[in-house]
Amino acid sequence: MNSHAATIDHHHDATTATGIPNKKLLWWAFLASDCMFFGALISTHLVYRLNPPPGNAVPTQIFNIELTSFSTFILLMSSLLMALAVNAIQRGNVRSTRTMLLGTMFFGCLFLGGQVFEFTHFVYVKKMTLSNSIFGSTFFTLTGTHGTHVAIGVLLLGMMYVRTFKPAQGGGLLLNFVHLLAVCVTFGVAFIWFVPGMIEVVYGASFSELLREHAIPFAAGIVGLIALIALGRTRGAVEFGEKNAIDVEAIGLYWHFVDIVWIIIFTAVYLLEYL
Amino acid sequence: MAEAIAKHAYTGGAHAPVKKATFELFARPTAKTGLVGWLTTVDHKKIGMLYGGFAIFFFLVGGLEALLIRTQLIVPNNHFLEAQTYNELFTMHGTTMIFLAVMPLNAAFFNLLIPLQVGARDVAFPRLNSFSLWVWVVGAILLNVGWLSHFVPAWKFGGAPSVGWFGYAPLTSKAFTPQLSTDLWVFGLQVLGLSSIVASLNFIVTIINMRAPGLTMMRLPVFTWMALVTSFLLILALPAIAIALVEVMFDRNFGTNFFEVSGGGQPILWQHLFWVFGHPEVYILILPPMGYVSEILPTFSRKPLFGYPIIVFSGVAIGFIGFGVWSHHMFTTGLGNVATAAFALATMAIAVPTGVKIFNWIGTLWGGQIMTRVPMMFALGFIWMFMLGGFSGIMHSAAPADAQQQDSYFVIAHFHYVLIGGATFALLAAIHYWFPKFFGRMVPEFWGKLSFWLIFIGFNCTFFPMHFLGLNGMPRRTWTYDSNMGWNEGNLVASCGAYLLGLGIFTYFAVLIWSFFKGKVAGNDPWDGRTMEWSIPSPPPEHNFAAIPTVHARDAWWYEKHHQEEIAQERAEHIQAEESHGGIHMPDQSWYPIIAAFGLLIGTYNMAQLHHPVEMFNKVIFATHLPLAITGLCILVTACYLWSLEGPGGYHLHIAPDGKVTESRGDH
Amino acid sequence: MTRTRPAYRKFFRFAPAFLAGLGLVLLTSCNKVHQVFSLSGPQSTMVTDGPVAARQWDLFMITVYVTTFIFIVVGAVLAYAQIKFRAKSEADEKSEPPHQGHGNPLIEIGLIAASVALLVIIAIPTVRDIWYTHDVPDEEKGNALDVTATGYQWWFQFKYDTEMVKLPAGGETPLVTGNELVVPAGRPIRVQVRTVDVIHSFWVPKLAGKVDMMPNRANFLWFKADRPGYYYGQCAEYCGESHAIMRFRVIALAQPDYDKWLANQKQPARSVTAKSLAAAASVPRVQFASMKLESGAALSGSPEFDANPLAAWHKQQDVEKDEDPALVAKGRQLFSDKTCVSCHSIRGHEGIGVTGPDLTRVGSRSTVAAGVLENTPQLLGEWLRRPNHYKPGNKMWFGGFKVQDTQGEWQPNPKLSELSDAEINALVSYLHSLK
Repeated sequence: MNSHAATIDHHHDATTATGIPNKKLLWWAFLASDCMFFGALISTHLVYRLNPPPGNAVPTQIFNIELTSFSTFILLMSSLLMALAVNAIQRGNVRSTRTMLLGTMFFGCLFLGGQVFEFTHFVYVKKMTLSNSIFGSTFFTLTGTHGTHVAIGVLLLGMMYVRTFKPAQGGGLLLNFVHLLAVCVTFGVAFIWFVPGMIEVVYGASFSELLREHAIPFAAGIVGLIALIALGRTRGAVEFGEKNAIDVEAIGLYWHFVDIVWIIIFTAVYLLEYL
Repeated sequence: MAEAIAKHAYTGGAHAPVKKATFELFARPTAKTGLVGWLTTVDHKKIGMLYGGFAIFFFLVGGLEALLIRTQLIVPNNHFLEAQTYNELFTMHGTTMIFLAVMPLNAAFFNLLIPLQVGARDVAFPRLNSFSLWVWVVGAILLNVGWLSHFVPAWKFGGAPSVGWFGYAPLTSKAFTPQLSTDLWVFGLQVLGLSSIVASLNFIVTIINMRAPGLTMMRLPVFTWMALVTSFLLILALPAIAIALVEVMFDRNFGTNFFEVSGGGQPILWQHLFWVFGHPEVYILILPPMGYVSEILPTFSRKPLFGYPIIVFSGVAIGFIGFGVWSHHMFTTGLGNVATAAFALATMAIAVPTGVKIFNWIGTLWGGQIMTRVPMMFALGFIWMFMLGGFSGIMHSAAPADAQQQDSYFVIAHFHYVLIGGATFALLAAIHYWFPKFFGRMVPEFWGKLSFWLIFIGFNCTFFPMHFLGLNGMPRRTWTYDSNMGWNEGNLVASCGAYLLGLGIFTYFAVLIWSFFKGKVAGNDPWDGRTMEWSIPSPPPEHNFAAIPTVHARDAWWYEKHHQEEIAQERAEHIQAEESHGGIHMPDQSWYPIIAAFGLLIGTYNMAQLHHPVEMFNKVIFATHLPLAITGLCILVTACYLWSLEGPGGYHLHIAPDGKVTESRGDH
Repeated sequence: MTRTRPAYRKFFRFAPAFLAGLGLVLLTSCNKVHQVFSLSGPQSTMVTDGPVAARQWDLFMITVYVTTFIFIVVGAVLAYAQIKFRAKSEADEKSEPPHQGHGNPLIEIGLIAASVALLVIIAIPTVRDIWYTHDVPDEEKGNALDVTATGYQWWFQFKYDTEMVKLPAGGETPLVTGNELVVPAGRPIRVQVRTVDVIHSFWVPKLAGKVDMMPNRANFLWFKADRPGYYYGQCAEYCGESHAIMRFRVIALAQPDYDKWLANQKQPARSVTAKSLAAAASVPRVQFASMKLESGAALSGSPEFDANPLAAWHKQQDVEKDEDPALVAKGRQLFSDKTCVSCHSIRGHEGIGVTGPDLTRVGSRSTVAAGVLENTPQLLGEWLRRPNHYKPGNKMWFGGFKVQDTQGEWQPNPKLSELSDAEINALVSYLHSLK
């Protein structure tokens, strides 16, 4: 039960019967369970794909496959950054870990922003809602559940990022809370308003109109960003270090899993329609 | 070495603040007794007892519901109950007995026994364990809150849930059950599922990772093995129903079409998703009882379990095949011939590992010295009754014959033989068997045996005639029946049997309460047990083991009893080694699990009535329940956030050579 | 554990033998107890009257034989072990523990093989019968009668897909009846099962096992009645408040009787000429209106009915002798005035609704309220007076006599007051004239 060992072996925990750290085993078991969640959702989607009622939406007329392929690529790349974050903390490099965590979160936000754009586009332009066709029902619940997983992943990474600033000598609860708030505001604004807005700009909308339309959230986002930069300066010794590699690794497991699930969803929901 | 503080210093609130742990909103609770002690406990034994207490309460509630059902059916064309009330009663009887009685009773034993049987001081994630318990309580509240509207008309839940325990779509759609009771049922089950998944993750890690030195997987007590298989079944099966429930919830609240027939929905999908969960659920209910029996039979035969590896493997096989037979609940839904044949054969296949277990239990008795104490009587009753339930199960696997039995009283008879004659008998055996361990007192043999015979006779009188009622064409879930159907006598006997069964159950628990106060004091090992929990004092101290044991054989304690010198020496060394590392490390209590569960209660209770306006003092305060639901979510998220910042914490126990235990804090 | 063996032990020791003895005495002596195990009811799955149900029972009996064999063998070994290896005395329990044997792989594997072999005995006929019971055998397909049964909360509609009737307004439509399915004996009947709301299940135990009526799913079953008879059926899938009393009947007739019945069914509803509308109101001829039934009384069948339901059904086909045309005419008027017509069809008369059962020949049915009440004037009157008592939650009450206010509470329908005794009298006369 003690972690007084001089060197840390990242792949073996002497205090457990199997040598696998408890947290890691917990995550593995949870991911097994999560597989079944997605399995049930994907089955629902495929069952209704095979038995479409008359008047069901036609997927190929709704999808924007180029955009989704791009955001799939982004999500894949975020896994690389996640792996680098784990690697950094295993070497005890907290600064590099922070950078990689932020990078992973940023890529996650790009993906989520793409999804927000996609959803609004489907609802307002293609007129497919959650309730007006069964394809809408299965599509939005399945990809929405996955999006929620990514969003929770970003939040967990944010919490991990904030935790890397926990001072070695204790205290700092309020500061920690403010820091997390800044992370939530910044990344929230990014994926709900900024990224989807920029995608619209790419598709020809006016940037200045975008700024006018969402002035308040953008202002909040900028405040959050400034706070994030200000709080991100290193202040003294931190408690976080090599011993926390297992925590980062556990979140990494989750992140990679969510990534893999997306590949399956992308295949089963999107690519399958183009075969 | 840190200072050892006297007992009053840590139970009172006045001990000097040592260096505060870094992230804390308020001080961590340290009370070991009293209300705060129980609400914030992370001790697996206390959590187990809370699970057990709540479960027994709901077991009695579910039993009362059953007695009301049987009273309605005692004569034909009875008007003792309204049709709607009757429907609520059978729905809640099923839901209660499965989710609020048998599952939590099993969870109680998982909590009480797993750490003791694997030689650990607690489960792997003690605070998570407390969270599972309180989340379970939230689910129980949500499911039962509907009863209130029968007594307080202002609470418009429309009664308790009335869609049947498997809530077949489209009966659960808003067009057919507009009442809130169905929404509460959906959320209640969802929350209970969350509780079970979290708890199971914890047990999986505990069993795999927290085993004492020398305790290889093939030395694990069979109960713990079955708990492991059950936990895996839970985490893999519950997601299916969770998604199905989400889909129903979306249909009811957000206009989706998953099971809405007019929108192209396929109600059959609900049945598939439900039974992909529901069939493994049957094994979730029965595998732990098989575990209890596999512990009790060897003890009272004074002989090891016959064919341990085969029993373990057949348990695992049941778990696997259990995922491939769900459609045998749907033989009458028009699956098609090939699917029907495949599921019929798979169902026959699962009878084999089940039969193997029975053979091995008989093998255990063979050549032993059978001592017919009360737990053994219940265990033997289990074998007989479970065997009968298994036979009617085999009869169901013949799909064409099942077309006559499906949804008839024959099925009722079958699964009550499996769930009362099987699961409940084993649970009653287990309660009686481990009662001395956790309360330190014996239950009198006479009253135990009397309750056994009352239960045994009452049970058979109730359910054996139901086979014949079913074959005589009586469908299940019928509020009333006509006098010319030939069902009068069978129902009369069944109802009388049910009262007898109720009397037996009452006797059983009344005697337990008496024994708790007045029973003969039990020693550490009143039954001449074989597994590790019998090696420690009764009731077990908070740290369970003075020294983490080293396991040398399958029946670890039996081995120790026959190799005492070797063990004593080993143990002394372990105590010394641990003390040199700072003492026995114990996890700290925490407020956050129960606060998080409270947030979940607020969130789900309000989410269930999302589209209804919030009224207070006859005024509409909010147009919908969304603000309140979000409040609950915020409490939940905040509590989780503070929980993660608080850290596991912990303190140390030090055992003096005279056995006196002292406690120290803030030294790590 | 050191005290001496207490006296009560003796009592419990002989408890099993005592119980077995008592059970045996009860079983052999008491007639009431025999009744518990009797399988002779009208919905018995053992006393079958058709090839599908017979196959299903035979298969069931194979499973019973196999499991009984296993039970006798395993039970004997278990009982022997329990008695033989019991600790005989206190000293026994304290003695040296028995040999700590861990098992015998050979025995275990042998037992597994034996169980598999026994299961194969069940598996083969199971697979064979899955195919047999699924659909009408090919050689009989040409002779089969196609019927569609549709479940409603809480009654059954039967449609004869190939038997067309002429509509008064022109055109034709398949013949529709409610709650009583009349079929020719000796011919295979292929029933398409459908539902308009939730899942129901079509089950006539003496003729065939059940098949569920699933929304958005084209299920079917088949059966054949070996001889003319009156068969009880019931919904077997929980379908809401009045599921327990969602019943129906299948009446199998010899082919000539069936043809006669069919010819009559195809006619428009029977009309009775009104002599005097005014006279009827003052002299109600059937004095049942104020009768109240005790709860708990037999509802669906009087002893005379139960003695020979098929004969009772035949009798029900005859026109009543003491018909009062004036009263019938008044009832027909009430049937429109009380808005009954908007839910019930009476082909050739005013009724056009499709929410409730077709009543074109309701007088000739042996039951009303979907098999709940025998179709006597008294009980039909009772049904009209207190529909919610006999079928809680039904749409004639909720939506007919009661309507929902803005708060969703059920209030008396201002447009439809409850029926007076005289009105019930007239309505019953009218409905019973529809033969």
